[in-house]
Amino acid sequence: MAENISPQNPSTPVAASAVKTMTRRDFLWTAWVAFASFVGAVGASFGKFMFPNVLYETPQIFKAGKPDDYAEGVSTKWMKEQRVWIIKNEGHLYAFWGRCTHLGCTPNWFDAEKRFKCPCHGSNFNIDGDVIAGPAPKPLNRCSIALLPTGEILVDKSVLETRPGFREKKQFFIEFNA
Amino acid sequence: MTFDVEKIKKQIIDSPIWRSMFRGGKWNDTPRDRAQHIIGNVWLHLHPAKLRKRAVKFTYTWGLGGLSFGLFFVLTLSGIILMFYYRPTVQLAYQDIKDLEHVVSMGGFWRNFHRWGAHLMVLTTIFHMIRVFLSGSYKSPREFNWVVGVVLLLHTLLLSFSGYLLPWDQIAIWAITVGSNMASNTPVLGAEGPFSIANIRNDARFMLLGGTYVGENALLRFYVLHCIAFPFLAGIFMIVHFWRIRKDGFSAAPLNIKDKTEEKVDVWPNLVVREYLYAMFFMAVLIAWAIWMKAPLEEIANLNVTPNPAKAPWYFLGLQELLVYFDPWIAGVVIPTLILVGLMIIPYVDDNKEGVGYYSLKERPFANSFFLFGVAAWFVLIVIGTYFRGPNWAWYWPWENWLHHKAPPPPAWNVPNILGVILMGVYFVGGTLLPRWVTKDLAFKKTLWTGVGVVTAITLVLKFAAAGAFEKHLGFSFGFAQVFWIIFSATLYYALGFLVPQKFARLISWPRYVISMAFLLMTIGVMLKIGLRLGFNIKYIFHLAQYNFNI
Repeated sequence: MAENISPQNPSTPVAASAVKTMTRRDFLWTAWVAFASFVGAVGASFGKFMFPNVLYETPQIFKAGKPDDYAEGVSTKWMKEQRVWIIKNEGHLYAFWGRCTHLGCTPNWFDAEKRFKCPCHGSNFNIDGDVIAGPAPKPLNRCSIALLPTGEILVDKSVLETRPGFREKKQFFIEFNA
Repeated sequence: MTFDVEKIKKQIIDSPIWRSMFRGGKWNDTPRDRAQHIIGNVWLHLHPAKLRKRAVKFTYTWGLGGLSFGLFFVLTLSGIILMFYYRPTVQLAYQDIKDLEHVVSMGGFWRNFHRWGAHLMVLTTIFHMIRVFLSGSYKSPREFNWVVGVVLLLHTLLLSFSGYLLPWDQIAIWAITVGSNMASNTPVLGAEGPFSIANIRNDARFMLLGGTYVGENALLRFYVLHCIAFPFLAGIFMIVHFWRIRKDGFSAAPLNIKDKTEEKVDVWPNLVVREYLYAMFFMAVLIAWAIWMKAPLEEIANLNVTPNPAKAPWYFLGLQELLVYFDPWIAGVVIPTLILVGLMIIPYVDDNKEGVGYYSLKERPFANSFFLFGVAAWFVLIVIGTYFRGPNWAWYWPWENWLHHKAPPPPAWNVPNILGVILMGVYFVGGTLLPRWVTKDLAFKKTLWTGVGVVTAITLVLKFAAAGAFEKHLGFSFGFAQVFWIIFSATLYYALGFLVPQKFARLISWPRYVISMAFLLMTIGVMLKIGLRLGFNIKYIFHLAQYNFNI
């Protein structure tokens, strides 16, 4: 308790309970911890600062016409505007988001080979979206899709599914009477 | 009326104004004056006043560090010039670049100069690192300055990469799309990475781009990073780098042991003149290059159309080539991180006292063969990615027409997980222990050629005697491609992964040995995985598809 010795009377320690509640060491510890938390909080707030709360990106939902507008097979009609393929196949319909699951390039549809091929690293997908060659780790993403009362198709690119079994559920798969 | 130039010069130099600007008294060209000229000048005082002859020799440093700094300097100047006309918005950026090229006086020249200077700077920093490694200049007391140097190399790459987006053309947006998607493959923090806890609206890529795709926010962020943040950080690290050069005793080149009477030479003018000449020569080359070669500019960026093939800037094409063989979290996140960490720890792992300050292949055989192999692999992969990859990332010889159709790659298969874990365990644990277990003194060349001969013989026997059996039971054809990849992989592991460490690194302390072997085996492992994919169509050695954790 060397710190507690009173300067006027070096031999008599001051009663700890009366004057001292905190040693110099404890004070410095508290100060440093407070400073470190402040720096940490500034860092965290800067981290949050870098995440924009409002995005001015193009809407992720669009209407893609009626099922009758599409011929059997892969339609590239919406690729340029919306980056979505509409696939109509034996009485059902689904939509692929045109983004390779490898590193986000846009694959191209080759009708003769019945394959989507990605130009960046050579991934190939079949008409179900499954990987048949190349480095892609997952099948193509299917967009959430719904048939509106007006008979139009509504496509939502922000809700996606790749897993077999789930992607055939109603949310990602429209069955109609062809 | 005649002018006495010398008299006018003297009057100017002796005038109180000049004297107030430049420190030092009357110039008599004494050694003291020459030293004072270095010490008393804020720019020149980064130099020592005197230096050993060997350190001044051009073929010792190749002037690469100074050149890198010089390029950073002129890139800052030309960058400031370009900023007068460039506005970082999606609507304006591409038009501003077009204006710079076509309507601004000298605008095209400055853009070309900035672009080619940046490529050159990437090259000179890499070669500066190679030079410092080969001359052992990272050894004590310069360990930390090597680490700072690696940070500066990273900043050079970041500067170049962030500048790549600014022209807002097709190649820019797709290079950054591919690059930023690697961030979303970061383990845990990326939406598509292994064991992800994030989605596309709060993951690492979102933070980098400020959005879910490369758009307005991303352009502004990269502009700020490129023009302000990265140069600022690079500047800070450069200050530390140069200050440490001074404090660590300048050049590592040792005194000439044979010549006891060797005297140091004055840096002014001996070194400074060389530096100026060298800088002028490179400036002339760069100016000529910028006049003759236009910086590329493709069509305006369009997120819905991917150019085929979409290639990253050349210095990242080695990594892009690795993306064919590894999932993005390995090729794009783990491998670059390990390369950086591996480079930074070199001076702390390498405790070989030999070869400080001069080129010595024989005194540091393990360090040099490992490092040079890594550098060679890096550049070979870059050359493959640059010249041998065409549409759909298929293999095209440089003389082949890209319209020529290539068959899609054959379907790949995965090694069963249990077998994969055993294989990797044996490779890493066994591979680490084996060179230390074999304590016999092996004759290097004889053992090497015997081993290569045995591997070749076995492979050829398998090819000609048992190819049918492989085809029947395992379902893959055993052609000459398979023969090549087996011999390549086995020889590489045998020579670099076993013989070199067995011969040269067996007796270093255990921690240093284990760290060196871990990095060596991982480096060789990358090559082995390439062999497995190209020779045997193996996609994953280990796969946990539901967690995106595939190796």
